[in-house]
Amino acid sequence: MKDFIVNSDESLQELLSRVRAAQKKYATYTQEQVDKIFYEAALAANKQRIPLAKLAVEETGMGIVEDKVIKNHFASEYIYNAYKNTKTCGVLEEDDGYGYMKIAEPIGVIAAIVPTTNPTSTAIFKALLALKTRNGLIFSPHPRAKKCTIAAAKVVLDAAVKAGAPEDIIGWIDEPSVALSNDIMKEADIILATGGPGMVKAAYSSGKPAVGVGPGNTPAIIDSTADIKLAVNSIIHSKTFDNGMICASEQSCIVDKSIYKEVRQEFIKRGAYILKDDEIDKVRKTILINGALNAKIVGQSAHTIAALAGVDVPEEAKILIGEVESVELDEEFAHEKLSPVLAMYKANDFEDAINKASKLIADGGYGHTSSIYLDESTQNEKLDKFYHTMKTCRVLVNTPSSQGGIGDLYNFKLTPSLTLGCGSWGGNSVSENVGVKHLINIKTVAKRRENMLWFRAPEKVYFKRGCLKVALDELKNVMGKKRAFVVTDRFLYENGYTKDITDKLEEMGIAYEVFSNVTPDPTLTCAKEGAKIIANFKPDVIISVGGGSPMDAGKIMWVMYEHPEIKFEDLAMRFMDIRKRVYTFPKMGEKAYFVAIPTTAGTGSEVTPFAVITDDSTGTKYPLADYQLMPNMAIVDANLMRDIPRGLTSASGIDAMSHALEAIASMMATDYTDGIALKSIKLIFEYLPRAYENGGNDMEAREKMANASTLAGMAFANAFLGVCHSMAHKLGAYFHIPHGVANALMLDEVIRFNASETPVKMGTFPQYAYPNCKRRYAEIAENLGLTGKNDDEKVEKLIAKLDELKSIIKLPKTIKEFGIDEKLFLDNLDQMTEDAFDDQCTGANPRYPLMKEIKQMYLNAYYGK
Amino acid sequence: MELKNVIAKRSNKTIYKSNDKCVKVFSTDFKHSDILNEALNHQRAVETGLLVPEILDVGVVDGDKWGIVTEYVEGKTLQELIKENPDKFDEYLEKFVDLQLEIHSKKSPLLNKLKDKMARKIAETSFDATTRYELNMRLDSMPKHNKVCHGDFKPSNIIVNDNGWYVIDWSHATQGNASADVARTYLLFMLNDGEEVANKYLNLFCKKSDTAKQYVLKWLPIVAASQSVKAIERERDFLTKWVDVVEYE
Repeated sequence: MKDFIVNSDESLQELLSRVRAAQKKYATYTQEQVDKIFYEAALAANKQRIPLAKLAVEETGMGIVEDKVIKNHFASEYIYNAYKNTKTCGVLEEDDGYGYMKIAEPIGVIAAIVPTTNPTSTAIFKALLALKTRNGLIFSPHPRAKKCTIAAAKVVLDAAVKAGAPEDIIGWIDEPSVALSNDIMKEADIILATGGPGMVKAAYSSGKPAVGVGPGNTPAIIDSTADIKLAVNSIIHSKTFDNGMICASEQSCIVDKSIYKEVRQEFIKRGAYILKDDEIDKVRKTILINGALNAKIVGQSAHTIAALAGVDVPEEAKILIGEVESVELDEEFAHEKLSPVLAMYKANDFEDAINKASKLIADGGYGHTSSIYLDESTQNEKLDKFYHTMKTCRVLVNTPSSQGGIGDLYNFKLTPSLTLGCGSWGGNSVSENVGVKHLINIKTVAKRRENMLWFRAPEKVYFKRGCLKVALDELKNVMGKKRAFVVTDRFLYENGYTKDITDKLEEMGIAYEVFSNVTPDPTLTCAKEGAKIIANFKPDVIISVGGGSPMDAGKIMWVMYEHPEIKFEDLAMRFMDIRKRVYTFPKMGEKAYFVAIPTTAGTGSEVTPFAVITDDSTGTKYPLADYQLMPNMAIVDANLMRDIPRGLTSASGIDAMSHALEAIASMMATDYTDGIALKSIKLIFEYLPRAYENGGNDMEAREKMANASTLAGMAFANAFLGVCHSMAHKLGAYFHIPHGVANALMLDEVIRFNASETPVKMGTFPQYAYPNCKRRYAEIAENLGLTGKNDDEKVEKLIAKLDELKSIIKLPKTIKEFGIDEKLFLDNLDQMTEDAFDDQCTGANPRYPLMKEIKQMYLNAYYGK
Repeated sequence: MELKNVIAKRSNKTIYKSNDKCVKVFSTDFKHSDILNEALNHQRAVETGLLVPEILDVGVVDGDKWGIVTEYVEGKTLQELIKENPDKFDEYLEKFVDLQLEIHSKKSPLLNKLKDKMARKIAETSFDATTRYELNMRLDSMPKHNKVCHGDFKPSNIIVNDNGWYVIDWSHATQGNASADVARTYLLFMLNDGEEVANKYLNLFCKKSDTAKQYVLKWLPIVAASQSVKAIERERDFLTKWVDVVEYE
């Protein structure tokens, strides 16, 4: 316990170092220890509520003992009750699944400014909050109330120390001055400032975090629907409480003209004194001096104030009411009066009442409290308008505002507090009733956790030669489909590829329509054309037959059919994580089942949730990606691929290879996708040369390639692609290099780029722990039986084997060799680089590419290494 | 120097006219540093370009007495003019406010700070600790500006002649918030000329400068406290009433 007087800079420094030392020790206390101290301190303060109330009235000459008893009681009992079970020490929350903990730490030393109006209750309140949160606290009392504030602090401190708190955990300035107040505010770790605007402003300019509150100027609207008795008596009850010294207390009431007379009568009946003409002016001159509140009237009784003004009112008059008209600042009654003096206005209607209330709040109560009396069960609209309009942090309904604003007495969920935050409107950092949560620092411990992953594929994938008819059978016999819409391109249609399908549909009695107008790189116009037919035809199944283009077009028509309102710009919005994308893709499959039947072995589109569409009016490509776009059924029947021309066999085959390679390199690769991709790569190396050489004469090779392509599709549907595809997409867009060929041209560069163990930047994904792509490529090599004395050698052998494959299937080695003009290439290089960087595929790449790195890869791929 | 022609006499200083010079002679108990400070303030005012009599000499002027010698400005004080031509009061008041605004438009970075001066004055008052605490708290929250403030701007400190309106007596000059200077003038009007004149002045100033009246009124308890240091008995109750106010809590 401090044994010296704090009245100077030196003694304040001494106090501060003692409180700091005590707080350092207190910071190690457990929740149990703290709760015991909190309990004992609250109990002690509660026991002293009457002596402290007497002392406060005696010293300050303001307020009413019996009401101050209630305030002290509130500050101990209600605060204890509100926080007795609140965790304020150590771990507050923990969840190992999500990998996080929230931990409470004390802030340090609180500078507490205590006002003259509530000198003991506020002291008890702040001291208890500090004890509960393991903070030290130094009071800067008001000189007019220093004895009682210090007495209250002592009561709490003694009990706390007795219960085990470190000595000196609470201290105070014995002889307050503005200089010492400013000093302690600068030295403390946080400021709890309750007081006038001057003090609050000083707190905020001290440079330390401050929880400050400000003046109120509470207006109470009495609406025409109000319960007049309840309203008038609540206001009198509130306004007389401690002689009107609670900052939330009503300063004016605004009464609807239709009930004004009755309200006035009720006020008179209950002992309010309504000032007469000349008396109003006398009181005006008494309550305010040059716009500032006369110190002599604060917390005095109505009779005393009237006497000061030279107005004769009965001794027992409860409040003085001035019936005034102006809500402007030059009307004295429009100000905060901190005494049982009330302004009463007559409102023409509800609108007028709200306008008056708004102005009164602007006059001097921004952010504090507003109050309204109305029939809550029928007047929702008025209440809505009221709380929307009021710039106050508390809006009280049918409640005496003094007792209502401090919370918990007349309501349930308003935090009990004697420090009422006024939000930014009042220049405060807190808009709620201040409590323990404002006095702790919360640390969040966030452990590394990997994202949830899944594996998605169509619900049915049919394969094996000849499976087409069996699969289609299901549409009728299992699903009972009635109307089919077939999407394909002109070549396939004219060469009878859809005939098997339509014959089967006919045989099953399924009505069908064929759309065969799909062009390569399907356009929005084409999709819209199909969608229009679909809309009329109303199919319950859509069957896409073809290479990538008809399948993409089919998916888009499916979207347009299911959701005609859709905007493609929204669907195509880039995302970092498909599960956190801003745009929620609409649900598909409500109208039609989607069947994809590939006729080439490459795109994998039959099992992917991707589609690309070009807006031919602007040239913009919209790459769409969402699992809603996943076909419901894929039918992989190599019989449809028998007659693929050589060029297409080679380009689409190498496309499948690049899908598998990128799916393995991807940061999002999983055990599920790896197995599939590895198998796919192995099949392609083995069967692509045969399929290329022998075509339709080697149906085994065709079937294996069909499987390899679909497997690669499943792998990248879940693991996504990488920068090879980013660059290939742009080569295709700028120079019309077929997609598979473009990928082939970039493959070697990308493998070397990704294999680096010291990338300039690695990709961002929790699963991807460190640059390990070299090992991943080496695993591919090992799976192919390639050997080497280290991973570098294995990767080089993989590249060599790829080069060998490319030359067998007659793919160009460089972009130059493909025949792109050097000047044209270089002229477009920078823009193409930027576009490739921004491609959706870039995000999954294990090495985050810089643009200059992309550019270099393009250059290498152009000239050859 | 001949010191016979007394213009004005105060308790601790006498002002003489000596040929074309004006000599302000201080009593021997007057601190020399205060005299030098007044001269310094005065010269700083001269250097702002305002119409202010030139300083000619500072030092011993009469035996062991110190004084400040300035050029003598012919003319009547504005106070005399108002008395002679009461019908021209409005016109004078207009020019009076314009002149004060012109002073406020000046900067003089080395002048004493207004808030420091007020804090000193509050400490010198005889009010109790609580009241001084309230005053200090109020002062602390006031904005810190750097406008030249005369500090005792009133009609008797203005001399009018054909050259224009000269402002004299810069002993209270500071730099700070102009509203404090206006509050001070308002208080002086209130004490010497009554409420009506004071309000007329304040309204006119607020209108011309687009200042909110409340902004000026906020300074009144402080300037009233500062005025109370002069301990003029007849002003006492009035000033106490103005001082004894509280900030909202």
